[in-house]
Amino acid sequence: MRPDVTDDDPGRTPDDFDTVDVLEFAPLAAWSPTHDLDLAFASEAHSLARFDSPLGVGVKEARLLNQTPWVRTLGRLDFNISTEGWKFPAPPTDLVRPPAQRLDSSKPAGREVIDLPTLPDDGGVRKPPIRIRPTADTVLIKDRLLYLLQPPLDDIFNGRALEVPFELFPYQREGIAFMVPRHSALLADEMGLGKTAQSILALRLLFHQGIVRSALLIAPKQLIHNWGRELKLWAPDLPFEVFPNDPEARRTTWLTSNCPLKLINYEAVSRDAEVIADPRTYFDVVLLDEAQRIKNKDSRTAEVVCSIRRGRSWALTGTPIENSVDDLINIFAFVDPGRVPSDTPTKRLAALTCDSILRRTKDQVQTEMPAKMVKDLELELTPAQRTAYDRAENDGIVHLNELGQTITVQHVFQLVMRLKQICNFDPLTGESAKLEQLITDMDEVAANGRKAIIFSQWVEPLEVIAKALGKHNPLLYHGRVPQKDRTPILDRFKADPDAHVILMTYGTGSVGLNLQFTNYVFLFDRWWNPAVEDQAINRAHRIGQQHPVTVTRFLCESTIEQRIAGVLEAKRKVFNDLIANAEKPAAMLTEDEIFGLFDLKARPKRG
Amino acid sequence: MNDTPHAVTAKSALPALAGPASPAVVGFLSIVTDASGVFGGYLVTNAWGRPLEFRLSTAVQPNRVQQILYGPTLTEYLHAELIGKTLIEKTSAQPTIVVTDSPAALGLRARLGVPVVCVNAPASDDLLPLPAGRCTATLSYGAKFADDRAALDDRLEAIDPAVDLAEPFGRIREAMAEARKMGVTNRAA
Repeated sequence: MRPDVTDDDPGRTPDDFDTVDVLEFAPLAAWSPTHDLDLAFASEAHSLARFDSPLGVGVKEARLLNQTPWVRTLGRLDFNISTEGWKFPAPPTDLVRPPAQRLDSSKPAGREVIDLPTLPDDGGVRKPPIRIRPTADTVLIKDRLLYLLQPPLDDIFNGRALEVPFELFPYQREGIAFMVPRHSALLADEMGLGKTAQSILALRLLFHQGIVRSALLIAPKQLIHNWGRELKLWAPDLPFEVFPNDPEARRTTWLTSNCPLKLINYEAVSRDAEVIADPRTYFDVVLLDEAQRIKNKDSRTAEVVCSIRRGRSWALTGTPIENSVDDLINIFAFVDPGRVPSDTPTKRLAALTCDSILRRTKDQVQTEMPAKMVKDLELELTPAQRTAYDRAENDGIVHLNELGQTITVQHVFQLVMRLKQICNFDPLTGESAKLEQLITDMDEVAANGRKAIIFSQWVEPLEVIAKALGKHNPLLYHGRVPQKDRTPILDRFKADPDAHVILMTYGTGSVGLNLQFTNYVFLFDRWWNPAVEDQAINRAHRIGQQHPVTVTRFLCESTIEQRIAGVLEAKRKVFNDLIANAEKPAAMLTEDEIFGLFDLKARPKRG
Repeated sequence: MNDTPHAVTAKSALPALAGPASPAVVGFLSIVTDASGVFGGYLVTNAWGRPLEFRLSTAVQPNRVQQILYGPTLTEYLHAELIGKTLIEKTSAQPTIVVTDSPAALGLRARLGVPVVCVNAPASDDLLPLPAGRCTATLSYGAKFADDRAALDDRLEAIDPAVDLAEPFGRIREAMAEARKMGVTNRAA
């Protein structure tokens, strides 16, 4: 299309218009239809005769030069830019102290200070830093950016911001990176891998980032004190308070205390259901220690714990499946309510829970931990023990059969206990094959300057053993020892080089204690549940241990001990695939299995 | 046109360095060029590398006219004036020091009262090196701003020694990719 303009200027052709480049900012006023055109050409230039009709000039489309192809815009000269930004939560000012003031106080009294082993040489290869990543269900862009923009955990724990007393192992940093972004997390590391430290540091990070401002830790009563010590060690800048025993004072703590972290035991939680139901009761994080305590969903404890209003649900347990898969399902009723229905088929369980569970076994981090050697030491009963044992078993079976349909599992259980006690000591002479062996072993332990823990189901055998091991300055730690005396006992065991052995019951000593300076563990008799045994063993074989740990499990040949061990070992295998990477899921004996320990004709009346 | 390209301001006209060096607030400015143009990400952290604020710009694609008219000043104009200065000014947390991965953004110093250092800048007469103790990469600042050296030392000292000044740029780029993936820059545009 050409402009509908004619003139007789020989030097200007319509083609010239095609070559005009007009920048966007160039005014086109001269061609505006609102302006007159000056067409008063000189008459001598051209004769009118050249036109067939009188000269008429009009502008049909004056806007043409505003349009392509007459205007070829080369582009704007100004730049346009816009931005979008996000502000992240600021940490509470009382948590941000100048670096120089941090951790200047000495370690809490009584705390075992362990020199960690040197980490394996990585051959100079720099491993990628461990970072916190948003989870798949982190929906908000701001939250995703917040996690993505966190510095590597290596830097955080190497710097002044979050000083830690001991260097963390990489798997521990991974555990922290797992917990921090998750609203639902079950840390199910095998006992002794440092779940307590990982969870404390994850909490500390969240507090420092200003992401959480209130947290509740629920733990078994006997572990509350230990949690306090661990908190002072791993998070000295994080104030915490323990709920008092007095119900009214506890109510005040629930509702009015603004301490960022509160510690309470399961029993107290159960009793405080009413105040927990108060809408003012809310925590950004609720952390359950020994979460298997809520494995029974119908229990009062489980019901109240699950009712606590919270933002994040974290749980710790080394044995997410103690007896059956229902244990895990019920723990998830707290960790991620509604995610795992109670009738979930076993094969679906792993898929539903895998994103919220992190479990590492010692075998997996073996390179970062000294070895643990477990030996089952089968002993022959002394003649006096054998005589007493056989007589008790035969008489017991006869008695049980006489009970007929009135027999109960308690009857069988009583016989089992009686026989196990004979396996420990002959009731008449006090002879003990186990004790003889133990004395020999302990002499060797003491001669090497090492320390040992001895576990038993009962207090009485421990007292007998303590007398027999008097030269090794034995210390007793069991349920009859007053609570106030327990920490000094542990402190002395740690500090006194002549105290070579501590004797513990499973109930009191199997959980929560850090005895990494001990290299030998003796299980004088066996517990019903291998998970409890494992916990006992892991008092010694845990993070901070510098040397291999030798575990000796005493077992008397051809006795009830051997039969129970066989049944439990078979049951362990059943659970192997339920929890990813689970090495030692545990199971207790069922009623039928307890009856099956003896050749009994009598059976309880059913229904 | 809102701004005109200009050469770096003479030393005597530099904005005065402002604010106390402690507590340190560190601004990390990353400039990225891809098919969509040039865009920036700006992360503000505390002395321990913790994120306080993050801001992302839309991409700028200079056209031919702009390239011709801005000439050799275009890169500095885009990195320092258009992207860097805009991001920093729109962010509420004001930095005590700015670390950038773009040598062209060192010109920010002429526009703001904040010392600016660059990581991984290729050797040049226009740059002065800084001791690399705090950084796994090289660290340098503009030779035109040689007087900033004392302030730089002071402000770098206030940063936790565990913070590697080159490290946050990996985070920033991940965050920029994440934000763009979620359509943030379209929204911002």
